[in-house]
Amino acid sequence: MAINSNGDRGQNWEAQLRKGCLEMAILASLWKSRLYGLEILRALSENSQLEVAEGTLYPILSRLKVEGLLQSEWVEAEAGHPRKYYWLTAPGRRRAREMAGTWHEFAAKLAVLVEPVVGGKSQ
Amino acid sequence: MTTSAIITDKRVEGYISRLDRALASLDPAEKTEILREIRAHIVDSTEHAADRDGTVDRVLRLLGTPEELAERYGTECLFTRASRSFSPWLLLRTSWRWAKLGIKGTMTFLLALFGYTTALALTVTVFMKPFMPSRVGMWIGPRGLNIGVPSHPELMHELLGRWFVPVIAVAAFLFAIGTTQALHWMFRKRAPNAVSPISRTATYGRAAS
Repeated sequence: MAINSNGDRGQNWEAQLRKGCLEMAILASLWKSRLYGLEILRALSENSQLEVAEGTLYPILSRLKVEGLLQSEWVEAEAGHPRKYYWLTAPGRRRAREMAGTWHEFAAKLAVLVEPVVGGKSQ
Repeated sequence: MTTSAIITDKRVEGYISRLDRALASLDPAEKTEILREIRAHIVDSTEHAADRDGTVDRVLRLLGTPEELAERYGTECLFTRASRSFSPWLLLRTSWRWAKLGIKGTMTFLLALFGYTTALALTVTVFMKPFMPSRVGMWIGPRGLNIGVPSHPELMHELLGRWFVPVIAVAAFLFAIGTTQALHWMFRKRAPNAVSPISRTATYGRAAS
């Protein structure tokens, strides 16, 4: 029983952590180039452990656009049907840089703190 | 085209038309844009799949039901729009939606309801004053303060006289603006992703079990 509730709490914590990083990860995935939805999903699943479902991604993209962080355009693809490409606006680039900076500092400090814990586990 | 391909395409069309209905409250241009993007996504993810039928199944599951997806679109953008809007109707609707998610939302909705109802009631008394000059007022009596039409004006004393209209009109305006500002602040303070994301692994897990 106790193990179960700990497991649930652990999963919930992990879910919260992923949720908090999602917006930064989406903005970061668009840092280098314009991408369409499916490419963003692939970038996130290949380069992070975020594994976002499409039902989560598209509404967030739509909000980031309303907030002026992203811009989009339909491009007639070779595939024969148009794709909606997204890219970062100037405020979007600023926000991505700020979030990445905060994340970097936060992760570096926490890494020092948890280092003995991780080390202890591996011994 | 094989029978199974026709059934698959019908399922996709069925999904899109349910999404169309579920997004009814959105602005038509925005709705068209969403439907176009979701359709493009389904085509992109399934067109080269060996098992197209199975892939369509998986993609639709990862999108969630059309109603869930529409709800996500609504909730994601609603708060952003509401934090910039001056429409009491939109702000009330947004806080009502938030109220369904928890205690903070409920408090916000009650604040919105109280603030706008008070502003509206004060405005009504301002418009009633020219028609019932001797009965509408800010009255003080044994039972305390009463703005409007008291049941026993003979026991009470009116405080504002001809200043009633300007003073109460300003008070109504301040109530409306104050409520709007407070709601904007609450909406902005709210974490942007209050709706839990669907996780791919959880979805696969559910499908497997």
